[in-house]
Amino acid sequence: MSIVTHQLGLEHGNGFRALHGLNLKLTAGERVAIIGPSGAGKTSLIRLLGSALRPTNGRLELLGENPWQQSAAGLRQLRTRIGTIHQAPPIPPRLRVITAILAGRLGRWPAWKGLLSLLYPVDIAGAQQALARLDLADRLFERCDRLSGGQLQRVGIARVLYQQPDLILADEPVSALDPILADAAIAQIVAEAEQRGATVLASLHAVDLALKWFPRVIGLRSGQLAFDLPAAEVSTDMLRDLYSSEGSIVPTQANDPALLHALTEPLPEITDPKVVRLDSCRGRG
Amino acid sequence: MSDTVQPCTSRGAGDFCLTCLLTSAGLLAAVIASFAYLDIDFSALFSRESASGMGDFVASFFPPEAAPAFLQKTAHGALQTFATAAVGTLFAALLGVFFALPAAGRMGEAPRQLARFALNVLRSVPELVWATLMVLAAGLGPFAGTLALALHTIGVLGRLFAEAIENVPSTAELSLRQAGSGSAVAFLYGTLPLVWPQFIAYSLYRLEMNIRMAAVLGFVGAGGLGQMLYFHLSIFQQAEAATVLIAMLLLVLAVDAASNLLRGRLAT
Repeated sequence: MSIVTHQLGLEHGNGFRALHGLNLKLTAGERVAIIGPSGAGKTSLIRLLGSALRPTNGRLELLGENPWQQSAAGLRQLRTRIGTIHQAPPIPPRLRVITAILAGRLGRWPAWKGLLSLLYPVDIAGAQQALARLDLADRLFERCDRLSGGQLQRVGIARVLYQQPDLILADEPVSALDPILADAAIAQIVAEAEQRGATVLASLHAVDLALKWFPRVIGLRSGQLAFDLPAAEVSTDMLRDLYSSEGSIVPTQANDPALLHALTEPLPEITDPKVVRLDSCRGRG
Repeated sequence: MSDTVQPCTSRGAGDFCLTCLLTSAGLLAAVIASFAYLDIDFSALFSRESASGMGDFVASFFPPEAAPAFLQKTAHGALQTFATAAVGTLFAALLGVFFALPAAGRMGEAPRQLARFALNVLRSVPELVWATLMVLAAGLGPFAGTLALALHTIGVLGRLFAEAIENVPSTAELSLRQAGSGSAVAFLYGTLPLVWPQFIAYSLYRLEMNIRMAAVLGFVGAGGLGQMLYFHLSIFQQAEAATVLIAMLLLVLAVDAASNLLRGRLAT
């Protein structure tokens, strides 16, 4: 079992319940997509399963171990086997692409190797290979602040490919990519997972990507499971129901709801009648 | 649709601000009272004797001493001043990083308070006081000056570095720790790339200030140009003092220009 949760819940400090009563089981090598309207708790779930957040309720087992019953060293060890692809790649702008990718294995390297690699990259070939899979090999020595948002997102994916984790978690991993690149990037993540038998759990904005690449799809709404089904059994009605809070428009790569919204809704009128003259009366009350 | 709100209408002569007038009058009265209290005699400043006295004094600085032997001695003094400032700042920057990590709360609350307290103590004692103490401890000469500059500058840079670390986003470092890397390496890969340009810029800026300070420290016996200036002025060798002053000016200008250039490069 890669992931087992029992009545998993997360309550924020302000009393907001982001997730509640989640029962999930993912076997090793399974590929699962999470879809749902914004605010459904997709990111919270990914953070819980990446042991970045501690659940407030329920039980959680990752790769056969409870992360919060481990020693500090045990938790570190477990975390090296979990790779998270973030929606906004957490990479310092001045870092070179190669350094950003090599950072994926810092958990497995001894400290001296990490230090050495800051002075001179220790595994140029490995980083090059990971980057080539995302069609960016020519940017290996570029500084990250010279990349576009989509290129940076692909560097973030390459870092996790290079990390070679047993559990790949992805939080909207292709949100900054156009449909063709997004498809190719997901294909690489899937290929990597199949090759090494790794488990993938990805939250996706575009439902068509989820249905195409992931045999199992989880619908999340208001912090609860709406459905957990094989992709073939997910019906249009279920999707409409899932996205009812967003006008039942099912987001796909072709029809971005933000775009549709902009086209169908009239522009808000700017008709504030009160124009305050500012400079006519400074210093007087 | 267009009922323009006018929060205040013109009041004609009322536009004169009574508060402003009263404030100005009060300030003027305070200035006049200060002059009266200090008993400053401007007539003495502008009298014929004082003008010629000042003129003679200034003239005695010219021409500056230009004997090759003395120029060499001055150059040596300038080098000593520069070295004092540079080594002092370098030490301070390195030790500043060590203080900044606990002071930014990296190692818990108790070390944070302790490091902040130490930095405050180092910073609140002025360089001249440190120099006097260090001359007592390490004897006359540039070593005392270097120690004095380093001690004060650790306090300044440590604090600035700590603030820089606290103010950059921690997501990069956190994401590395989430992938199992150790805290030291995660800092080096996640936070250091965000803060080191600031570290260098602060250090260069302090170097500029320390050059000027190192020249002054010579007055308490900490070597360099300052000590030469003090020596020659006190035995009324104005021509030699003029050469030393010019050397100070050139040194400060050169270091300012070089550090500006470096900081400009860093910004990109």
